[in-house]
Amino acid sequence: MVVVDSESATILRVKGLLEFRCQLDSTDEQLVRNAISRTFETLRSQVKSESCVLAVSDSPVIIWPNKDAYATPEEITPSTPCEDMHQWIQADEQETSGKKSSKKKSKKSSLASVINLRLMTEVTKPGPLSAPILTKTVLKSHFVSVTLPLDCVVRTGSSDTIKDACEQLIEALTHQLCEMEKVTLQNMKGMTLLVPEPVHFLLPEPKGLVTVVYPAGVPDSQLVTQRKELHQQFDLPDDRPYFRRANAYHFPNEPYKDGYLRNPHLALTHPTLDNGKVYLVQGIYSYHHYMQNRVDDNGWGCAYRSLQTICSWFQQQGYVERPVPTHKEIQQALVDVGDKQASFVGSRQWIGSIEVQAVLSHLLGLTSKILFVSQGAELASKGRELANHFLTEGTPVMIGGGVLAHTILGVAWSETTGQIRYLILDPHYTGAEDLQVITDKGWCGWKGPDFWDQTAYYNLCLPQRPKVI
Amino acid sequence: MGRGYIVQDDVEGYLSKLCEQKADPVTGLLIGQSSTQRDFVVMAIRTPQKEESAAAARNSVDKEWVTEHARQVSRMLPGGLSVVGVFIITDADAKDALTTLRQLLFAVENLISSEHLWDPADDDVTDCVTLQINPKTRKTVCRTFDIKDPKSVAKPADWKYQSGLCSSWATVSCSLNVDMLLPLPNNRTSTGNMEECLKEGLKAWAHQIECGLCLIDGKRLPEDSELTVIQRRNLRQTYTAQLLITTENKRLTDVIQQCGGSVSVTGAIHSRAYLHSNKPKARQAEKLLKRDVVSTVATRVQMMLEELLASDQESKGSCRDKQQKELFCLPHRIFCPLKVSGPLCVCDYQFSDEDLSEVPERLKEMLDIDAAEEDLDTRQEMTVEITGCDVTPEPTQEKVEAPDHKKNYIGVAMATAVALLATAASMLYLNDI
Repeated sequence: MVVVDSESATILRVKGLLEFRCQLDSTDEQLVRNAISRTFETLRSQVKSESCVLAVSDSPVIIWPNKDAYATPEEITPSTPCEDMHQWIQADEQETSGKKSSKKKSKKSSLASVINLRLMTEVTKPGPLSAPILTKTVLKSHFVSVTLPLDCVVRTGSSDTIKDACEQLIEALTHQLCEMEKVTLQNMKGMTLLVPEPVHFLLPEPKGLVTVVYPAGVPDSQLVTQRKELHQQFDLPDDRPYFRRANAYHFPNEPYKDGYLRNPHLALTHPTLDNGKVYLVQGIYSYHHYMQNRVDDNGWGCAYRSLQTICSWFQQQGYVERPVPTHKEIQQALVDVGDKQASFVGSRQWIGSIEVQAVLSHLLGLTSKILFVSQGAELASKGRELANHFLTEGTPVMIGGGVLAHTILGVAWSETTGQIRYLILDPHYTGAEDLQVITDKGWCGWKGPDFWDQTAYYNLCLPQRPKVI
Repeated sequence: MGRGYIVQDDVEGYLSKLCEQKADPVTGLLIGQSSTQRDFVVMAIRTPQKEESAAAARNSVDKEWVTEHARQVSRMLPGGLSVVGVFIITDADAKDALTTLRQLLFAVENLISSEHLWDPADDDVTDCVTLQINPKTRKTVCRTFDIKDPKSVAKPADWKYQSGLCSSWATVSCSLNVDMLLPLPNNRTSTGNMEECLKEGLKAWAHQIECGLCLIDGKRLPEDSELTVIQRRNLRQTYTAQLLITTENKRLTDVIQQCGGSVSVTGAIHSRAYLHSNKPKARQAEKLLKRDVVSTVATRVQMMLEELLASDQESKGSCRDKQQKELFCLPHRIFCPLKVSGPLCVCDYQFSDEDLSEVPERLKEMLDIDAAEEDLDTRQEMTVEITGCDVTPEPTQEKVEAPDHKKNYIGVAMATAVALLATAASMLYLNDI
């Protein structure tokens, strides 16, 4: 595992495909393993050879890491600091042949900025070289043909040069090939072979980004032993997942394919209260609201959307593999547990916290605590409980009362003054996934205690994390 | 407005001499380079005589023969040079001659492009030229056809001679490693099966080359820039290219499959492309060089397969369990400069068991050029020394049994080529235009 700690420095990510091909002369297990190891060794030599090339994405920069970090364009030398590469990268797709006129920094993210590189092979060499030979081997045997998805991450310090970066990158690539060899051999059964796939995980400070090679196609449920070892190795608590595939780190420059916004609350400035602290949802959730997925639930679907946000949290933290349920699936679940009549499915009937709890239990196998306040005014006194919830569980909270349902993503609470603010994600929004609008207009925003109907009663559903890895 | 062909003035003399021959008709090929801006013809090559043809047959045009000659010639042209048209010297009726030329042109161009392992590009010129010369009056009629359009009609074109045309062309070249490993299907592995595998493997590899990143003299140039941007004082205009490739993720087959063996092609080739010096564009240099890379490898593999088929080599079915390994040296590339001053060369391929003296003979027969052994450039590729394995397709006794093999290259090549391309060839003539 390559460990990268995440002070604000440049992260280099190199991705590329390497062809793994070999002929297996026999089916004898040891000979097969030897042949596979030999082929991995050939790939490692290739990565360490002069024909290995790293091309910086969205830029004209090309580096030969094993030729003393020779690079083109010629302004880049082995002693150029890594950070300078940012100047050569253009955000848009166009090919560029020169530096940008202004030093525009790429979008700021919570982690360090990422430079992407492509692993390439140079097939030309100074001649003259020997003409080709065609070798024909006739033997009833097996042929292995795999494309290995190399994906390495390396952190460079502010004083690191291109040459330093190259050494680290080549070492990371070689190391990953060793890991892939291990995983491949571990998971070989007779004449079947699973493709090793690297996955990156962001661990709590100071451990940072870590890369694990998993065998493709093996579900998380069969990789418990590996995860246990990893938790031990990195000294992580054994009651919450860090290494499930869904926990994979999402790099800032990669868009989400499903189109939902993730963690819009990160764009907000949090309130400062006297002696107050901010307690927020942990991890990643998607913002679900009215009118999405071409479902017109304006006026009745707010609790359903809040429930969807909660489900998205459990899916993205790796607790469940089930995708976020639709309105109909939610309604069907309630019919299945006997809470509603069959006619409920397809209707526009509201649901409340109790129903949310029932669906979370029935569809996702989760337990939730219900918190009841007889008057909205009492919510102001629930600061400690909510703070504790976000500290220990860190899951989004669904609150229903009066005629409305909302999602609480956090509280700002002062133990001494009792001041409280609530971070609200409002499912009543009917517009497009525009972060600017959503934060400017308060669809995701901090609200005071007067946000609640002071006389209505409220139920809160606090989902609990399962204690698993 | 028609196209305008600028022709090396030596060609005029060559065609003149052909006019003085008794034979009628005389057909041949026109070699040059067509781009969106200009069209150049650097060479004319008469169709070689068919040895066994009867006297009567000599007076008519043998389409198959002309087409096969064109295919062979096409293999001997480095990147940037290609068969851009056909000519005929005859005093027959102009309209008949044009019809014949049209048929020849389409047959020739279709056959040559059917062997290409690359997709046509948007900026490819699809117009080709036909030239008709009356041997008595020396009147020339020049027309072009769009070979992409089977219903294309003749368009008039200019034909202008110019001296010193070949003197300032740019040369882009590289030496490139090939490393392919392909499975053979799990049944009786005849040469035919190996051909299928190699064709598929070559196509996939050709695609990798086509998508590869090209650096010229160590720089990555924007596509529309001109080559001369790099070297302002390079009078000889030679550029070295580098190619960087990546693998594409294709999960087409199972990770482990049963096979009947494997075939690999490993080694290096020298590739070269010429561009006319009138503001050559980087994009065109890259395109022509990549095409030469692909075709030189494909040509050699094809030649090796033709050799194996000609010597009728089949793997012995009874020894399938024991591992049979055979090594074949693919022919290596030799360049021969054209007599006109300038960098232009043609090329030929020499098998390791052939004597160098055979190359000038082939050059004379195929390209009608006079070259001496000393003129040949054999330094671009090295031959491999293999000991203890089969270097040639067959042991020496085979050579004695087939003396024709050396003398009438086009005849033997054609027989085997037609056998291999049986379907393709018959399709071409069924659709006689």
